[in-house]
Amino acid sequence: MIVSSRPRVARTGQYALLACYLIFLAFPLLWLLSVSFKGPRELVALHPSIIPSDATLENYREAFTQNGILHSALNSLKVATLTALLTTLVGLPAAYVLARRKGLVSRIGLGWILLSQMFPLILIIIPLFLLLRRLHLTDSHTGLVLVYMVWALPFILWMLQSYVRSIPRDIEEAATADGATRLQILVGIIAPLLAPGIVVTLLFAFVTAWNEFFFALVLLQTPSLTTLPLKLAQFVGIEGVVRLGPLAASALVATIPSLLLFTVIQRWLTRGLMSGAVKG
Amino acid sequence: MRKFLGLGAVVLLCTALAAGAAQAGSSRKAAVNLTFATYVWQPTTVAATKSIVASWNASHPSIQVQIVSVDPNSIHDKLLTNFVGGTATDIIHDEAADIAGFTQQGYLADLTKLIPKTLKGSISNRIWETVTFNKKITGVPSLLQTYNIFANMALLKQAGIKAPTLKNPWTWTQFRAMAKKLTSGGNYGVCWGLKSPTAAVQTLALNYGGRFFYQQGSSTVFKFGAAEQKVPQLMHDMIWVDQSVDPAAVGLSGSGVLPAFFAGKCAMTVQGNYQAQGMILQSPPGFNWAMLPPLKGTTQEQVANPQTYSMAQQSQHKPEAMQFIAYLLNHQNMAKLAAGDWLIPADAQAGKIVASHTKHYGSWIVATSSVGIFRQALWVSLPAYPRWKSEVATPAFVQYLQNKISLSDLGNQLSSGWTRVSSSP
Repeated sequence: MIVSSRPRVARTGQYALLACYLIFLAFPLLWLLSVSFKGPRELVALHPSIIPSDATLENYREAFTQNGILHSALNSLKVATLTALLTTLVGLPAAYVLARRKGLVSRIGLGWILLSQMFPLILIIIPLFLLLRRLHLTDSHTGLVLVYMVWALPFILWMLQSYVRSIPRDIEEAATADGATRLQILVGIIAPLLAPGIVVTLLFAFVTAWNEFFFALVLLQTPSLTTLPLKLAQFVGIEGVVRLGPLAASALVATIPSLLLFTVIQRWLTRGLMSGAVKG
Repeated sequence: MRKFLGLGAVVLLCTALAAGAAQAGSSRKAAVNLTFATYVWQPTTVAATKSIVASWNASHPSIQVQIVSVDPNSIHDKLLTNFVGGTATDIIHDEAADIAGFTQQGYLADLTKLIPKTLKGSISNRIWETVTFNKKITGVPSLLQTYNIFANMALLKQAGIKAPTLKNPWTWTQFRAMAKKLTSGGNYGVCWGLKSPTAAVQTLALNYGGRFFYQQGSSTVFKFGAAEQKVPQLMHDMIWVDQSVDPAAVGLSGSGVLPAFFAGKCAMTVQGNYQAQGMILQSPPGFNWAMLPPLKGTTQEQVANPQTYSMAQQSQHKPEAMQFIAYLLNHQNMAKLAAGDWLIPADAQAGKIVASHTKHYGSWIVATSSVGIFRQALWVSLPAYPRWKSEVATPAFVQYLQNKISLSDLGNQLSSGWTRVSSSP
């Protein structure tokens, strides 16, 4: 029996293309990793190589000891985790109402959400600062978490309400017929079905807060409250001069939580997304 | 009697202890806490600042200072929101160009009467002029930068070129000729990172008296006459007529051209003098570099835009804040800050201290002797200048230096851009 070699060639080609694409995607991260292990002289080599010729941990030592990256990372972790949890907690029931209640209020609500996304940050920063100052919430993580919640909520509401809409009403009606209350429906039926949406929401809110720079710059003053993006910016000096080695080491540290989060949640996220795809 | 005396002694001791504790409590209560926003970022300068603040706090228990670190590129935004919100730090580290706007808006305190005579006398009047707005001094100048040529001395020697001296600096004509001489075999005489050329062009233009902005009565007038055209034209011609400046490097930042300089692909590079720090940390072992004296046109003058230490108008502790600023900028401490950043101290005495405590004596002598060439320029204090620089001047200079527009087009763009920017709110 003669087996055509065409499919095998095609498959090999597909894998080769996929490998190229993966290398393309991973290259910036690889480069960051490489730079983080290079000494100051190797960083200005005319022909840089991906593998450091004289690898050093000096950049990491500098980032951790001189620049207090670890403390700032813990601050960021605290702020981002709280933001993710609280935003989802507030966003879920609100999104449910927006998706299920038909009427003027719902339409105005959705319109307002869209509109609120159009305000440039610079326009609201000073009024926001004055408001938070009156509430004694400047220079505190509580104030920052509140601002991040408000900032992330419109997009999250928009995202979650579209997930809610994708769940058939029949399921809720059946539950109502069985005597379930609205809260029981939301917690016992809607929330589990919304799991992929909630995970995406959590991730989005976490990453938004983890990477945010400008609000933190304006609101935080006390050095011990500094978040990671503020610390990373301190590696860039006047006229674009950069302390590239320590910056790369710190930036790599900054990407780890997001990477870990995606790695841990990814399988569960995919399972959740696929769970409603097949009947039976 | 003995018992009575003993009891008396105990009562006396308790009273003394209570009084001591009360006094300690009141002095603790009376301690003034100052906040100090600074954008120092080089590890050496950060360490110097921290050590100065620590020594101040140790020797002044009644005035305690806390550092608030801000990155250099965000200092303006941070200060603006803090001023508006009423939460500005007491002491503010910034630069002359930035405090001009804040002074106009009334956010900075007038320091004229607060500055101690010793501090005032240690800095030249020409530098004080750069922080004086409507007869009010709102910042104490500290460190400044010049633009200098850094040379690969081995390549200069190989070409038989003698380095210029403080007494006999190169003129632009000599520099141009040397750059041509050093260009051969695919290597260039000069690598000049001109990604954001405005500051360098405007600062060096003063070599020929080019000031770009002139005061006429109460209004500011923009001019692009022969004095202003000279330096950009020289730069352009070195790139495109002589081809002694690497055209590929023109699109890079100042530090972006260092790899080519260290690899010997070009014999000279023009940089801010602070780049000497990069030379020390990053040049290959045995690399023989030197910072050459500032170039001379009709003069060696360059524009002064010093780092400054100001005080928020909102501060409740202005005399105490001034005491700290005076301590921070005494001869010894200013020398420490200058050494960390490789910048030129405004105080000549501090300059002597830096030069006498360094391995890089020659380059520090060149740097610190430049303190006399600084002059005030109107553009440093124009509120609309930062916008004109980013929206108009930088794109126009880049296009001209990339040979995409003519000199007259450049002048037209700069002039009409200023009219637009200065007339819009």
